[in-house]
Amino acid sequence: MRTETVTMQQKTYIAIWILCSLLFSTPVHSKEGVKLKLGAKGKGCLECHVTFKEKANKTYVHTELKNGNCSSCHDPHTSSHKNLLITYPDKLCYDCHKEILPEKALSVHKIVSEGQCNKCHDSHGSNIKYQLVNKGNELCFSCHQDVRKQMKTNKFNHAPLAKDKGCLNCHTPHASSQQKSLLKESTPGMCTKCHNTGNSQFKIKHMNYPVAESDCISCHNPHGSNTRGLLFDNPHSPVNKKTCTECHEASTASNPLTIKKQSKELCGKCHEKMLNETFDKKRLHWPVLDSVGCMNCHTPHAAKQKKLLKASIIDVCGKCHSDTVELQKWSKMNPLNKKLCEPVKSGNCVICHSPHAADYPLLFEKQSINKDLCGRCHAWQTHSTHPIGEKIIDHRNKNLTLDCLSCHKACGTQNNPVMLHFQTTYELCIQCHTDRKR
Amino acid sequence: MRQTTLTIFVLLSSLLAPLFLAASSFGGENVKVKHIFSIYSDEKEIGLKHPEGVACNNDSFLIVADTENSRLLKYELQDQTLETAPTHIQIPEIPYPIQIHLNSLGEIFVLDGKKRQIARLTSEGIFKGYLAPAGIPSSTSYVPRSFTIDTNDDIYIVDILYERILVLAASGDFKKQIAFPKTCGFISDIAINPKGNILLIDSINATVFSANRDSDIFSPLSASLKEYMRFPTSLASDQKSRIYVIDRNGGSIILLGQDGSFLDRQSGMGWKEGFLNYPSQICINRKGYIFIADTRNNRIQMFTVFQ
Repeated sequence: MRTETVTMQQKTYIAIWILCSLLFSTPVHSKEGVKLKLGAKGKGCLECHVTFKEKANKTYVHTELKNGNCSSCHDPHTSSHKNLLITYPDKLCYDCHKEILPEKALSVHKIVSEGQCNKCHDSHGSNIKYQLVNKGNELCFSCHQDVRKQMKTNKFNHAPLAKDKGCLNCHTPHASSQQKSLLKESTPGMCTKCHNTGNSQFKIKHMNYPVAESDCISCHNPHGSNTRGLLFDNPHSPVNKKTCTECHEASTASNPLTIKKQSKELCGKCHEKMLNETFDKKRLHWPVLDSVGCMNCHTPHAAKQKKLLKASIIDVCGKCHSDTVELQKWSKMNPLNKKLCEPVKSGNCVICHSPHAADYPLLFEKQSINKDLCGRCHAWQTHSTHPIGEKIIDHRNKNLTLDCLSCHKACGTQNNPVMLHFQTTYELCIQCHTDRKR
Repeated sequence: MRQTTLTIFVLLSSLLAPLFLAASSFGGENVKVKHIFSIYSDEKEIGLKHPEGVACNNDSFLIVADTENSRLLKYELQDQTLETAPTHIQIPEIPYPIQIHLNSLGEIFVLDGKKRQIARLTSEGIFKGYLAPAGIPSSTSYVPRSFTIDTNDDIYIVDILYERILVLAASGDFKKQIAFPKTCGFISDIAINPKGNILLIDSINATVFSANRDSDIFSPLSASLKEYMRFPTSLASDQKSRIYVIDRNGGSIILLGQDGSFLDRQSGMGWKEGFLNYPSQICINRKGYIFIADTRNNRIQMFTVFQ
């Protein structure tokens, strides 16, 4: 009887142990888990995968391949992942190379955060150091084609970009724990390593203003420019004319970099007409009126973009209206959307919306959506046989007439090639034509 | 054997109970809104045009800012029934009314989008002048993006020029100012809950901030609610301190608990009754009825809340 009780207790513990194991166990991939027969390590794989023998003979070879540890990354039998990888491709490298992605980096290379290491590195071997797939700047330019294009067309190029480490003279390839834009150091610190701010020439060029501590890239394009001094190609007129005192105190003043007035008052000195027209409109874009004012969207000295915009229109608008820009991005990505409305495709929000102020809802520049907005590109009268216009009442709402926006979502949708409010044409039509509902 | 089964049951229960409790608490307060009626026009069948404001903090009447028609319409309200002939208030000093609030005396305060000033009207709609805050310690100029009035008739103005909330007495005299939260994107609206706490909505980060009645600092009431709303621009609180946020770009009403926890997302982008298309102001009266300026649908919609 006693023996039986002990057995029962043992059974209980075994049952609890099994249950706990089932509850808390997670599948673990063991890199050393594959027991190969003697002498088969690596060699066994390369007997069939002969192309990798060539990789193994490259100058720089992945240590695991060199040691014949193919099973460090690949499962020899089955896998749920491509190329029989033991885990998700975007996580595999980080199993060993954790240090590449610091926990609190201020900027991370997009492909690094996405785990697309193979965009730059050959996971098996290469003749370029760090198993890179291409040499120097060419590697970076395989994605950053705009910089390559800029370099070719620029009248003036920034010397470090073309020599030594190229892009890596200023940028770090993976992540920067302290700096934005993957910079190795902050500006102006990095710039002043080569550019002597105490130099009289430097002072003359900067009108004797104490800019040694200022952010150089607020005026200069580090990737080159068509303007002397590597100024961004769209300098503000006073910068171009070197009449800094139009906005700043004189260079001899106690606080020479202080601006004479705040945002709108300062800008209004020259842009009075535009501001008066803006303030005379019925509805203003609220950021025009806030404490930052014009500087919410514009930069004061020089810009890559026209009209001294801080970034491209879609990026400037997207800083606040990320939800709408998301729709535009989805629409652009959808392969069905080949005939996407041009302003949406190019992200040119200001084709329809006035960025400062307007007399019409949604900051539309014109009153009639059909005639004045969409009608500029689309012949809406012949668009379809569906009645549309100011005399046609919307069946869904007696206080609305049918216009283009009754059916289309003009900023984009992720799911419909002609930017309908609904996923399918059927869903849209039965909104009014309820008798056709299936 | 029974002992074994019991032991396993107890062990499993203790392991799984927290999971079940967590799942049931997600349901929380089950609050829904139901459409009652919509206002489309005045007694002459002149349709509302892009109405952006609606005020109702009295149970007996409702005021609509018929924005594009440059007028205010004052409707008598009896519970869920509306008098069909509204009082028309059309004042040259208010060419573009975009937000309305009422104080306890029935005085009407209107924010004008073009003048960018707050006009003060008698309860009959007679223009008394623009609100002129007196005694502001630092900068006297301000740009009102939004405002609200509490039960003591104190006026709270969202001043986007100096990034602060200006608190004024009913007379317009300065009482205090509270700086915007440091981490905010763009503050679009303000509300006061029954406890006197100030609530702000940040449109860019979809975050509600709050400051206790006597506090001078705002803190986030919850993490970003971007998951539930696209671009919130208006908010209000009911008698139970529940928070109702209007998602302008998403055409929805987002219901939050008084602690800022997400309860539900109601309505949705659409044209039919009960749906919203770029809604603007929301107000809730003492009986708990909700009124929303359904701007792009050219109407005001009334909803009731049920649990």
